[in-house]
Amino acid sequence: MSSYLLALIFGFGFGWALDKAGLGQYGKIANVFRFKDLTVLKFMMTALCVAMIGVFGLRELGLIELTKVNETYLFGNLVGGAVFGIGMALAGF
Amino acid sequence: MAWLIEQLRKPRWSPYAAGVLLGIVSVLALLISDQLLGASGTFENLAGIIGGWFSKGISDSMYWQYIMPAAITWQVILVIGVFFGALISSMLSGTFKWRFIPDQEWRKNRGDGTAKRWSIAFIGGFILEYGAGIAGGCTSGLAISGTLQLAPAGFLFIVGMFASGIVTSIIIHGRGWRA
Repeated sequence: MSSYLLALIFGFGFGWALDKAGLGQYGKIANVFRFKDLTVLKFMMTALCVAMIGVFGLRELGLIELTKVNETYLFGNLVGGAVFGIGMALAGF
Repeated sequence: MAWLIEQLRKPRWSPYAAGVLLGIVSVLALLISDQLLGASGTFENLAGIIGGWFSKGISDSMYWQYIMPAAITWQVILVIGVFFGALISSMLSGTFKWRFIPDQEWRKNRGDGTAKRWSIAFIGGFILEYGAGIAGGCTSGLAISGTLQLAPAGFLFIVGMFASGIVTSIIIHGRGWRA
């Protein structure tokens, strides 16, 4: 039960960050693919940098074990990403 | 304190500040719950449950038995949290509003019709979720959560996503598009 409560809290933070960055707007998503508005990239890359430092720092300290690393399928990840990109550009989500 | 309240009510943060928040949330989710943030899997979980109402064969299939459980998972709850996080953030900042089509870019370029926007959004959403199913994640579950663990899958996904997104965008937005 408490793990579900934590899920709600983490989700809350995630949604909050998305809204504050303005990523609920069609234009922000549509325009990143046209290089007119790089908010998505600024947001994503900052999150990645912070999280990489945190995750690998904590792993060095032995506090995190990366048990759920996404499996790599060269073809699947690339083609899936390509199909996803078409949908994302169309829908603007 | 007054400063904090002012920040919480601000309609927009710098994308870098919001990115730092997401980065911290991702680390805490791994540290405390040993979970990755992801969104697209939720639709697959729910689709499995709904499919199971109509046919036992669907929820008992290999896919929903072993890859994406047809159940209310941690991730489903996470997405409910995402909904409330964004809702409360926009309500506090006064930007909450019912919209049927995107105000800015869409109206200027494609007019007021909701049918067009909704059908394109539906088709786009369908393709997007299908792609996420093939790749094993979406922008959050793979591009962010995968890449932050330095999983090659995340980097590959970002490459595919931007390559096709840029091409699609050139085709559908064309020259006459006003931003």
